[in-house]
This record gives sequence, structure tokens and C-alpha cells, in this order.
Amino acid sequence: MSTIIKATNISKVYHKTTIPVHALNKLSVNIEEGEFTAIVGPSGCGKTTLLNILGGLDQPTEGKVEIAGTDISTMKDSELIDFRLKNIGFVFQAYNLIPVLTAIENVEFIMLLQKRNKKERHTRAMELLERMDISDKANNKPSQLSGGQQQRVAVARALASKPRFILADEPTANLDSASTSNLLDLMAKMNLEQNATFIFSTHDQRVMDKARRIITLEDGAIVSDVKR
Amino acid sequence: MIAIIAWRNVWRNKGRSLVVIGAMVVGIWAMAFGGGFMKSFLVGYVSSSIKHETSNGQIHHPEFTQDYDIQYTIRDYLSVIRFLETTASVEDVTSRSLVNGMIASSRQATGVKIVGINPDEEAKVTELNSLVHEGTYFEGTSSNPVLIGNKLAEKLKVNVGSKVVLTFQDADGTITAGRFRVVGTLKATSPTISETTAFTLKTDLNRLLNIGDNIHEIAYTTLPETDDEELAKILKAKFPDDQVESWKELSPVLVFMEQWMASILKMLIVIIMSALAFGIVNTMLMAVLERVRELGMLMALGMKRVKVFFMIMLETIYLSTVGGPLGLLIGYATVSYFGTSGIDLTDYSEGLEAIGYESILYPVLQPMDYLQIVVGVVLTAFLASIYPAWKAIKLRPIDALHTI
Repeated sequence: MSTIIKATNISKVYHKTTIPVHALNKLSVNIEEGEFTAIVGPSGCGKTTLLNILGGLDQPTEGKVEIAGTDISTMKDSELIDFRLKNIGFVFQAYNLIPVLTAIENVEFIMLLQKRNKKERHTRAMELLERMDISDKANNKPSQLSGGQQQRVAVARALASKPRFILADEPTANLDSASTSNLLDLMAKMNLEQNATFIFSTHDQRVMDKARRIITLEDGAIVSDVKR
Repeated sequence: MIAIIAWRNVWRNKGRSLVVIGAMVVGIWAMAFGGGFMKSFLVGYVSSSIKHETSNGQIHHPEFTQDYDIQYTIRDYLSVIRFLETTASVEDVTSRSLVNGMIASSRQATGVKIVGINPDEEAKVTELNSLVHEGTYFEGTSSNPVLIGNKLAEKLKVNVGSKVVLTFQDADGTITAGRFRVVGTLKATSPTISETTAFTLKTDLNRLLNIGDNIHEIAYTTLPETDDEELAKILKAKFPDDQVESWKELSPVLVFMEQWMASILKMLIVIIMSALAFGIVNTMLMAVLERVRELGMLMALGMKRVKVFFMIMLETIYLSTVGGPLGLLIGYATVSYFGTSGIDLTDYSEGLEAIGYESILYPVLQPMDYLQIVVGVVLTAFLASIYPAWKAIKLRPIDALHTI
């Protein structure tokens, strides 16, 4: 397995000019292709900050993040947008689907940004919705879907762009038990079948139970890193 | 798909979008109708001036218009008239003799322009007969008949049938007077006609002036869509010894009024469009601020800022392209309807006529005016979309995603 993410000595300090808050403290971590990793820890430990930095949404105050050998720590904003589009999939806690588009249009949208042709977009979007067991709702708008269904569409959207890895920030936080279980099973299946790399931040024990690697953070540093 | 998203975004909040579209419809309608209504004053004034005073063009001896010396008659006027009568774009032609003089009744006297006319030709060119208020248009057997304006009649304290004396210098420089009978009074919005002109038969005036069959003025009307300036150029080239003037040269004030009205219309467009622009900016800004997290998500996923900018601009342009044509259509329908039936302002006729306007106004807008409105709408939509779109792309995805 190859290393997809190599974060070296990354620190993140907020409010540097007033009262500094050290969200991450010289943290180093490598993520391999095909991993199903959960980043856990108490609130304020730096999980979301780490995910944001690994996803190119935020820049570290210090340190370096390489994605498949490319240093993203020094990239310009416009370069990062393009890099995210080609390399990273996102699943958000609040689903964040485009409300005016149907489920299939939401999945197709990311491929449209990648300038893929219409036929390819439609075929792949439908295939992913089928794999996520939501194809019967392909023409429904997000407001017509339950939270679990919306999150399954969001995962399909994240996979649609064929990213190197998918970052999921508390993906089950708004879901009930059944939906959580169902979503996790589907993501685990995608991980095994398509070798898709998932990195979660979570408080949810059920996610931790499914994860094959658990990285525990405390005060912006890794206190344990267990592979199962 | 960005175009689809933008279109659907417009209708996310139907009530708000409809309010903005409604404001645009009303604004553009007001602009079209207001512009047409204002232009109706001008068009009425200009067409009345052309019809009853200047005609589409006139020809004089080059020296005549400097001090109205009656010795400067048009040389070879028959050739000029013949040419005009055979010119396809010329509708009707009339010839006149002119002299400045005095008109006196038994009670008052005042200065007037005395115009000797051929009644039949004049009726075709200036429709002078249509202005007869009391009495007749040179009908009957009265010798030395004269038509005067109703206000001049009031000033002289004369009625139809009264006698007046016209006094002027003849061709030899001798003061000549003639006794005329008022056969009718004219009611016109033009102060020149109603207050300072007396119309006699050309034969009567020429006899007193002692100028034979000579004339001082040829006036002609043209068919609709004729370029009067171009025709005047042709006539100038054909008759270089005469002074040929189109109505624009004869009455620069009409040209000034046209330009002034065009400026007023432009100002009206700017004022209404500015008000609309603020409404659009406000609505779109609300739409952007309501969707901060969504916009952040789009940029987080990889949507370039330029595309986000384009999407917000499209939403604004969609709002305008729905409201704009609808407002324009209603404006066009209103202008067309009242352009035919007219707006009756006879309640204010006295005041309007005092300043030379008709009391029934016919709103009118030229295709160029509609084009100006369309350009105004498009430009407003474009400019109004810039600020909300700029606000949207200034968002940082990471901050926007954490907005509640």
C-alpha cells in the first residue's frame, strides 16, 4: 500500500495576535491507501482542524502536508480548489447537498466540475446511487430524503469524483442508529470493494468499531494510533 | 448545470423573487409609459409646429430672412415649385408672400406678420382651414378677406365681420394700407398663429405690395419616413441661389426640445434603474447571506470562485430577464393603447394651450427608446449582480462551512 497523506510536524495556532490557541501541536501522521481510519478524541482536541488541514481547506501554521507526493501547505487558494476537486472527497456532518438539485444531479455535479461528459456522469452517478442503495430516490430532492438517505447521497457524491481519499467529518452525528449502521456498512463495503480510503472524525463508538485504524488525539497531538 | 442551479435558486424563495420581478415590471412599465407620456408633449408640439408653421421645409431668397425685405422674392419660383411637385417624397407645396406690418381695428393696433396665401394649397400643406374657430376659411364673396388668430382678435376687440386695416410698405417703399374684413378667427396652440399673424389672399396682398405674381416663401410637406435633411440637401444642390431649410434649420428650438427630451428620458432611465439596482442588490445579498454554508460547500468540493461568481450573476440576470421583458411588454402595450386613443387632458387645456401644447396627448416611443430601456435593464442587472457575487466569492470555505 502506498502513502496517500504524509503530514509532518503540523501545528495550527488560532488567534495568534490575541490569546493563542494551539489546535494542533507538531503532529505527524501518514495515511495509507485503502485505510478506513477514525480520528477520535474529546471535543476541542483538534480532530476537525486536522481534517480541514488534510483536506486542504485550511493551512497549517507550521509543518508540511503532502498528498500523493504534492505539498499542499504552500498552495494558493485557487490551486487548492482545483486540487480538492481532483483528489479529495468530502462528507459533511450536515450532509450539505445542493437543495435545488435531485439526488442524481447532486452526484453528477462534482463530475460536471471535473468536466466529464454527460453520459459518463449519468452512468457513474446511477451506479454509485445503486451501490449506496438509494437509486430509487435518484430523482428526489434533498428535502424529500431522510437524513440517512441524504448522507448516502453525500457519500456517493464524494466517491463520484474518484478521489484519492474521502474525509468525513462526524458523518453519523445527525443520524439515528439504523441509518448509522446502514451508512457504515455501505462505506465499509466501498472501502473493501473499491479500495476507497476513508478518514473519519467521530465521537461515535459505532464508527470506531468499524474502523480498522483509530487515531486518538488529545490537546492537538496524537496520543495513540492503533491499527486492527 | 450551473445555469440550472442558478435558475432553480431564483425560485427557492418564490415570494421574494416575485417581489423583485414585480418591482422591475412596475419600474420598467413606469419608465416606458412615463417616457412615452413625456415624449407625447414634444411630439405634439413638434408635429403641430411642422404642420401649422414650418412645414417640413421652406425655400426663400437668401437675403429675405435677414430682415424680411419684400424686394427679395424667390427667383424663378415656378421652376422650384415644378421640381418640388415632381419630387416623389414631397407631398404638397404652397407659395406665400410675406410682409411685416400693422393691423388696426377701430380700437387697437398691433404689429403682425401678414401672409398672403392660396387657400387651397395652404389647406393641403398647413391644414390652416382646420384651425378656423369662428367664421369661415376664405369662403363667400367678401373682398379683401383676412383670417386672424383668436387672441389677436381679442386684442383688437374685433369679431368675424369686423373691418381691420393692414398697413405696410410696398415694393417702392411707399406706406400702403388696405381695408380687410375678418372672415374667420383661428384657434391654434402656436402663439405665432393665434397672436401675431394675419392671413390674406396672396392675390390681394401682392396687389397691395405691387410685386405681381412673385412670392417670398415656398413651403412643402413630405411623405412619412422622408429624411427631411437629405431632401433639403438635394434641393440646396439643385437651387444654389435660394435658401433651402428643413424644419430643423427653420426652428432650432424644436431640435433643442428633442435633445432635451432625449436627455430627460435618459435621466428617467438612470433614476428608475438606480432604484431597481438597489432592490436587486438587496435581494441578491440576502440570497447570498442565506446560503453562506452552501456556497462554502461548493468551493470546498472544488467549484472555482469564478464559477460561483458567474452563478450569482446568472441568478441576478435571470431575475432581470423575467421582469424586464414583462415590464417592457406591458409598457409597450400601454404606450400603444394610449398612443392610439390619446390621453384626454382637456380639463387642463387652457393651461396647456397657453404654453403651446395640445390638450389630447398621444404617448409615443421610438424603437430606439425601447432599445435604450433594454440596454438599461441589462446594464443594471449586470452591475447589480457584481456586489453580491463578489461577496460570495470572498467567503472562505472553511469559515462558510461552519456558519450556522
